[in-house]
Amino acid sequence: MNPQSSPSVKKLTEIFFRVGNTTFGGGYVTIGMLGRELVDTRRWISPEKFDLAFALARVTPGTNLIAFCAAVGALICGVAGAIGAVLALTAPSSALAVLIAYGFERWQGNRIAMAAIGGTVAAVAGMMWATIWVILKPHVGRMTIKGMIRNLQVVLITGAAFVASRFFQITPLPIILVGTLIGFLWKDAKDS
Amino acid sequence: MNLLVLYLLLLKASVTSFSGLGSLPMVRNDFVVERQLLTDHELNMAVVAGRTGPGPFGLYLVCVAYEVRGIPGAFMGFLALITPAFLVIPLIRWIGKRADIPRVRSAIRGLLLASAGLLISSSVPLTMDAFTGAFSAILMAASFGILTFTRIDSAWLMLGAAGAGLAASLFH
Repeated sequence: MNPQSSPSVKKLTEIFFRVGNTTFGGGYVTIGMLGRELVDTRRWISPEKFDLAFALARVTPGTNLIAFCAAVGALICGVAGAIGAVLALTAPSSALAVLIAYGFERWQGNRIAMAAIGGTVAAVAGMMWATIWVILKPHVGRMTIKGMIRNLQVVLITGAAFVASRFFQITPLPIILVGTLIGFLWKDAKDS
Repeated sequence: MNLLVLYLLLLKASVTSFSGLGSLPMVRNDFVVERQLLTDHELNMAVVAGRTGPGPFGLYLVCVAYEVRGIPGAFMGFLALITPAFLVIPLIRWIGKRADIPRVRSAIRGLLLASAGLLISSSVPLTMDAFTGAFSAILMAASFGILTFTRIDSAWLMLGAAGAGLAASLFH
């Protein structure tokens, strides 16, 4: 591996700033753009380490993309790299999000602006359901015995969490803990 | 609301979720149901504001905090958003090798499935709030279909939805 230029916290931060704040479409799109820049173009990180960062970000609490940036930053430039990457990705876009929220407040009385915002509110509702499908899709099995058992696990755990929250008003934390425990005790049919 | 309490509530939501919008059930429970600091509509607006610009989906937490306590609140929301990410550093050093153990993978799967169930539970009232008639239902379905079955950037989707909302209001 011949890096095009040696990485530094400053250069790394610049890349996360540029890619993270100009890429729309959420985590997967941004991760793809960062891979193109850091793995293919600059070769600052190997594909294997990039994949490891992706996998660990998936099991790190919080927003996957931010954990992914911390992981890649740490692998390339240590803790300073992790901090630089996370701040460069999130600080400007957070400020922009607050400005947009402020704009929404100001436009509450404006009929034209509210019509446009109403359209986006409906689109976001659709996005939420698309996100649910993205979470569930990798866990849906094929039409085999093992696949059907996997599907049963999906229906039971997801359905029970929905019912517990929606109809019994149980708070999310115990539901998540019970879901994790069930997963631990009832092994994924794919692995059994 | 005390800024530290705001930070801790958002941190709790962030730490117990595993995706950008995964914290939504906890946020709704704490801010809409329990403390009634926000309405479903205001929460919806915060989600929309977080999704309108670039960056991760979880940015809506900053907007929620802004709605509750203004700019200082937004800063707390920002801190709550980024704090859990640094847990990945010890994970890389010590737990990375165990991620392939079937039992650990299975426990993570259970957690993700429970999160999906909670997300459905939160999405139902927010969808009902966003539903204003046949037109909004079409926009919701189109948004779901476009994001699920195409690779079109969500920024275009948001722009198109805003344009469609505007066009619909002109016809009325």
